[in-house]
Amino acid sequence: MSPVSATYWGIPGYAIFWVLFAIAAVLFAQRLYFLFRLMRLGKAENRFDNLGQRIKAMLVEVIPQWCNLKTVTRKDIAGIGHALLFWGFSLFLISYIIFIGLAGGFGASSAIEGTNFEVVYFSILDVAGVLVTIALIMAAVRRYIIRPERLEASAEAGIILILVFVLMALNVAVVGFGYSAHDINASWPPLGSALAGYLSGSGLSQGTLEAVYQAMWWLHYLVIIGFMVYIPRSKHLHILVSPLNILFRPLGHKVVLKPIPLEEAEYFGAAKIEDFTWKDLLDLYSCAVCGRCHASCPAQLSGKSLSPREVVLNLKEHLLETGPGLLAGKAEVPPESKAKTMIGDVVTEEEIWACTTCGACQEVCPVSIEHIRKIIELRRNLVLSQNKMPESAQLMLRNLQSRGNPWAGVQSLRLRGDWTSGLDVKILAEGDKARTLFWVGCTGALVERNVEATLAMARVLKAAGVNFAVLGDAETCCGDPARRAGYEFQFQMMAEQNIATFKSHGIKEIVATCPHCYNTIKNEYPSYGGDFKVVHYTQLIADLIRRGKLKLTKELNSILTYHDPCYLGRYNGVYQEPRRALQAIPGANFKEMERSKNNSFCCGGGGGLMWIEEQPGTTKINQMRTEDALKTGADTVVTACPYCLQMFEESIEHKDIKDSLKVKDLVELVEAAMKQP
Amino acid sequence: MNIIVCVKQVLDPEIPPAKFKIDPATKKVIPPPGVPPVISVFDERAVEAACRLKDKQGGKITVISLGAAQAAEVVKHTIAMGTDEGFVLQDEAFEDLDSFGIAYVLGKAIEKIGAYDLVLCGRQSADWGNGQVGSILAEIMGIPVVTLACDIEAADKKLKVKRIVKDGYEVLEAPMPSLITASSELGLPRLPAGMRIMIAARTQVPVWKAADIGAQGPELDKAKAHTEVTGLSVPSRKTECEMISGDSPGQAAENLAAKLAKLL
Ligand code: SF4
Ligand code: SF4
Repeated sequence: MSPVSATYWGIPGYAIFWVLFAIAAVLFAQRLYFLFRLMRLGKAENRFDNLGQRIKAMLVEVIPQWCNLKTVTRKDIAGIGHALLFWGFSLFLISYIIFIGLAGGFGASSAIEGTNFEVVYFSILDVAGVLVTIALIMAAVRRYIIRPERLEASAEAGIILILVFVLMALNVAVVGFGYSAHDINASWPPLGSALAGYLSGSGLSQGTLEAVYQAMWWLHYLVIIGFMVYIPRSKHLHILVSPLNILFRPLGHKVVLKPIPLEEAEYFGAAKIEDFTWKDLLDLYSCAVCGRCHASCPAQLSGKSLSPREVVLNLKEHLLETGPGLLAGKAEVPPESKAKTMIGDVVTEEEIWACTTCGACQEVCPVSIEHIRKIIELRRNLVLSQNKMPESAQLMLRNLQSRGNPWAGVQSLRLRGDWTSGLDVKILAEGDKARTLFWVGCTGALVERNVEATLAMARVLKAAGVNFAVLGDAETCCGDPARRAGYEFQFQMMAEQNIATFKSHGIKEIVATCPHCYNTIKNEYPSYGGDFKVVHYTQLIADLIRRGKLKLTKELNSILTYHDPCYLGRYNGVYQEPRRALQAIPGANFKEMERSKNNSFCCGGGGGLMWIEEQPGTTKINQMRTEDALKTGADTVVTACPYCLQMFEESIEHKDIKDSLKVKDLVELVEAAMKQP
Repeated sequence: MNIIVCVKQVLDPEIPPAKFKIDPATKKVIPPPGVPPVISVFDERAVEAACRLKDKQGGKITVISLGAAQAAEVVKHTIAMGTDEGFVLQDEAFEDLDSFGIAYVLGKAIEKIGAYDLVLCGRQSADWGNGQVGSILAEIMGIPVVTLACDIEAADKKLKVKRIVKDGYEVLEAPMPSLITASSELGLPRLPAGMRIMIAARTQVPVWKAADIGAQGPELDKAKAHTEVTGLSVPSRKTECEMISGDSPGQAAENLAAKLAKLL
């Protein structure tokens, strides 16, 4: 007999049950509807394409808890705890529906009570309860004793841990008191039955046991519906929202920057919270404040004020603060936030310009939050509408705008096509046609150190018999630095121009040495009508080695380590080819850095930061990365990106360790290993 | 407020010195291939000054540029910065003019544009650097000129101009219309923002020939030019490095100061 069918003070238990449920349901729905309306303040964006594929991908990510398990390392096993919690708690959720909802609320207890199904499920719950409790203890120990940087020991986190623990304990208590009050002698479920056995022998009267059982049952029920009311009002909103966020994450390419439509607008980019898209706002709800992004952000780790976690949290708080006013259609917002401007008060300019767009935050985020596009939207507003940016950024953008490349001053002691002199390469003149274009990129064409790698590349391609042409002086910037710095229209123009150039020469395939060019042309040009086959040179070289077109015969007795460029690795998943090429070098002893592949640590040069000054008084990101390379004991750090190459050069110079560590572009080593002894 | 800005397209000063070539016969610079010309930095400041005035009180900015057909790019750059329209003045008759000839042509173009309250020029061009065109143009048009402005305010049909002098600035008042030349101290020109880059890229810049502006005067007769180029050469650059030492940092500083004093 379920306690719901009893009568309390003359009121039927069913009435109490459903009235309480109705109150909780209204509070729950009210909050969710409010959050939904706030989210709808955002701009439109289509994330409903390929729904079938999306749903499948979401289930595959969430149910096996891959979202949390993917970041488990020897040092950080929190993901396992979360997976246990998730699976365990899911079982409990189902049990609430069956044993409290159906059996209690709908009076189906007679059909369920005492069945084998009940015994088996309760037994499973006992095991799950123990696992969940272990996870809770792990979580509590981490939060309050180990206290890793990424977690903030908030009251909210404590409340939820206690609440879940209480639920686990009550579950056993309800079974224990229930069984003993109803004289059920069983050995399954183990914990509940053991408690029942103990209570039966304790000499408590049947009446007392029944009363305590009923009290426990109702308390259990209250905690469950209280949970329902509390969740959408706390950071644990992520329990409800994050599966949706994973559902609507970008398919394919991970960092999707929205083109700005070509129409006059009052301003561009995001100046107010409602300038973000609804998906960006959904992102804010989804954050579980796990701090993984915070703990892997190179800007944060090098002492800058930027923390992706804080950006998300502050934007969320700002949305909740200003949202009600916006919904009411009132221009005015609550007094305390009246003076708050999103750029400046909620996210500072310093933070906005510290991001290297390395993607580490997005890689580790268990709920697929897209941090980078938000930062770029903020930059767009600063650059396109406020004309506010660090002087170094402005200088770079001015050069891009008037000279078609981001370099100036001493770095531009050469002209774009200069590197071709003395080499027999085909430079496309107007009207010439070619199938394969070697896209050199500004840095590879203009900066002295990088030109060496470009020359090596041209020689290697020729040696392998690859038929290619270059644009020489007619090449311009691909637009990546403009886009990452928020100078969107300049990017759009460059994209259109370059696509027209490629088409005019009948180009089908583009080989890029710079991962930034590679990423831009491959993933972003298609939106502007440029569909070309784009390969990164490391892919091409690995392929040429595999096919025997490149023979690496010369021994290079060297200990190598490889630095994954963010835009090659995390952005495009090219991890294996460069390693295969390096491992094909005779005599090379290959060592991995601790942070490698998708956990690689940025060199500090992406997102326009190659030209933008790092916040004074902070550690330089390239110095930190050079430390990583040194720790492997390698004598050569190899990379496949012109920015990384320069960043390492600079920090090696700065640390004055030229004798112990060299930096090489992958193609330079390949060329060295090709030479006959 | 109607503002006219005269801008010049010059060889990119960022071109590496080794790339500069001169044709000794014609005494002309041979531009290296593939390097687009840029707006003369001083003229860019004149455009910035115009844009600032427009930001404050609205109005229309018209840009004219005398030069080759590529000058259209420079005019587009100013449109990206915020000017409203522009014209390129290009004709065989305009080639190799000296400052007087150039001022004459610009004057004719301004006459064609019509009403204006202010004409702005750079203090000098970034290539030849004669620094005369502005003043001569004002003379031709019979309006006052204020050179080397670092700040301009407009109010009640009057212009308040901060003018750079050797050890600071002086404030002058000029009537409208006047001609003002902009100095570097005006500050960094703006980065073209918003959609203006795209608007500018899609703008067609009309070209005016001598006949279009009625420029037929004797001023175009090169034989009667006031100046003549007698020679042109790439300056040779030498750097010498001398280490100044001393027994103590203080002593080294003293030695350095003494050395500098001698050089000045
Ligand atoms: S992209 Fe990189 S630098 Fe930017 S917030 Fe994310 S982790 Fe930090
Ligand atoms: S944004 Fe993602 S990684 Fe960062 S704290 Fe929130 S949930 Fe964690």
